[in-house]
Amino acid sequence: MNSQEVDPSRRPDVPSNKAPPAKSGGRRRHWSEPLRNQTAVVLLVVLVIAGSLLSDVFLTPRNLLNILWAVSLLGIVSLGQTVLLLTARFDMSVAGVVGLAGIVTVLAQINGFGLIASIGFGLGSGVLVGLCNGVLVLATGANPFLVTLAVNLLVYSLALSLTESKTLYATIPEFNLIGRGQLFGFLHYSVIVFLALAVGLEFVLRRTIPGRTIYVAGLNEVAGRLSGLRLQITKLSAFVLCSGLAALTGIIMTSRINSTIASSGFGMEFDSIIAAVLGGTSLFGGRGGTLRTIVGVVVLGVINNLLVLLNVPSEAQQIAKGLVFLAVVLADSALRRS
Amino acid sequence: MKRLLGLLENHSAALLVFGLVIAFGSSAPATFLTGSNFENIARQISLDAPMVFGQMVVLIAGGIDISVGSTMAMAASLAIGLQPYGTPVAVLGALGFGLGVGIVNGLLVTKGKIVAFVATLGTMSLVRGLLLTYTGQASLVGIDPAFTFWGDGQIGPVPVSFLVVLAMLLGLYALLGHLRQGRNLYAIGGNKDAAFLGGVSVNKGLMLAFMLSGLMAAVSGVLVASRLNSASVQLGADAPLMSISAALIGGASLFGGKGSIIAAFFGVLALGILNNGMNLLGVPTYTQIAVRALILITIVVIDALATRLRRAELDNARILE
Repeated sequence: MNSQEVDPSRRPDVPSNKAPPAKSGGRRRHWSEPLRNQTAVVLLVVLVIAGSLLSDVFLTPRNLLNILWAVSLLGIVSLGQTVLLLTARFDMSVAGVVGLAGIVTVLAQINGFGLIASIGFGLGSGVLVGLCNGVLVLATGANPFLVTLAVNLLVYSLALSLTESKTLYATIPEFNLIGRGQLFGFLHYSVIVFLALAVGLEFVLRRTIPGRTIYVAGLNEVAGRLSGLRLQITKLSAFVLCSGLAALTGIIMTSRINSTIASSGFGMEFDSIIAAVLGGTSLFGGRGGTLRTIVGVVVLGVINNLLVLLNVPSEAQQIAKGLVFLAVVLADSALRRS
Repeated sequence: MKRLLGLLENHSAALLVFGLVIAFGSSAPATFLTGSNFENIARQISLDAPMVFGQMVVLIAGGIDISVGSTMAMAASLAIGLQPYGTPVAVLGALGFGLGVGIVNGLLVTKGKIVAFVATLGTMSLVRGLLLTYTGQASLVGIDPAFTFWGDGQIGPVPVSFLVVLAMLLGLYALLGHLRQGRNLYAIGGNKDAAFLGGVSVNKGLMLAFMLSGLMAAVSGVLVASRLNSASVQLGADAPLMSISAALIGGASLFGGKGSIIAAFFGVLALGILNNGMNLLGVPTYTQIAVRALILITIVVIDALATRLRRAELDNARILE
């Protein structure tokens, strides 16, 4: 990690100094230049056009709101994953945390705690797992992928032992409002939380020192350290944020159906990475942002929605997801080399 | 400290096997220390061993293969599902599929320049989708009783699958220890650039490693299908972590260039004895999951610390010169 070289093409918002277009007067900008890094937007436009041609109900406000509602939970997880990806690290334990946080919240309610306190316990469980991930990875330099994958198993086994492999039901009626309630009668709270978090995090990432430090941590740790940035605490915060948002997702998910099981978050670890990378956040740190992740998540949602509308068996969605992921990663890799 | 880390890193598998046998042997001597139980362990690890060998080969070459689990499950489904066309076709189809996944992984890494674990994460997702579509999430049941010979049969007291594993062990031992193609894998894993400058074809080596890994995962799949005479989509869910754990316990490193097939065998043996012992002692499932997770965290951390120490030493040596 500490011998990372600065690759100009990976700097965010800094024009590459390799071939400035002004200097090479004869070289015209390629027509696709404004579209670079925007694979997901292009994909989204294509999908929406295809969708409106293939299905009558696709472009109805109701269906579009449904798509947003369906992806908002994965979206919140993906936002945390995006921030962590910017530091060139991953969190595979979000799947377990989604399950654990819901279970802790419901268990707190069963044991007589109030609404706010029970949600606090749920979020706290996520924060603790994030701290555990961060300390393990940052203190030892161990592979974050495998460490968090193993922590995921630990969290899952903890959730299993807490529930004794049963389904748990929430006991406070108002709790259900969080997941079911709608603003103005059509906008679900989870959609608002997702969009607000994405905008808020983008602002923090772009305009504040801790946010910029996240990019530096992913791009060039040595330079960051020599500049006196507080890298370790920033990276630890990224882990905590990622787990915390996963816990929030678990709580909202639980409140939607008023019950929870240990495996409720399964698959979200991969899907959140796919969504973030699809949006244009690099797997190698330092490039991307949370607004992009909205697009990535929506593309995944639109693909699923279209496959359902076209009566494609649900199993094929997994194939589509895999193909889209590989295509995006290949494009990302080709882009970095060009 | 340095010696301790080195000892833990290089002989952890043998130490673990030794320790586990003593621990389980003393806590449940009547059930653990019996001939039929050892036969059980041999049967169980024979199903996992080929996949772990494949993972070891990839790790030596500095890669990692996350797709082994879904490849194994798909190979098992093909070995059962294609039986109407004849068992040889089914087995060849399954092995061919594994080889195909390996080729795709290899191409993504060498030609697509994608980091190994990202590429294999993608193929994992893709193969999982193929598996779900092919099986429709239903369990498949075999129609050829003779097929169960490979996973379930035995010659004298020795399970046939164990003999298959021993044969692979010898073949891979020869490849990695004595053939140029195999020795090149260590060079590639140790330092890709140096290997390239030394005239080693890095891409060819990586292709070989991923192809072997895909093929071996398929062998595991065929053996599992033969043992159960059925296949389901749940197969291989914990295989990526299990195979990586076993290979790392066997002295491989996530940083490449280290490990051997014999050690991989000890790694899979250690995990097999651990599972068997925990089952005999009636340890609850979730505690077993937690134990396996803790073991993985421990070895990944040891691997990282030992590598850091070794690099620091190299830097010191360079300064002294």
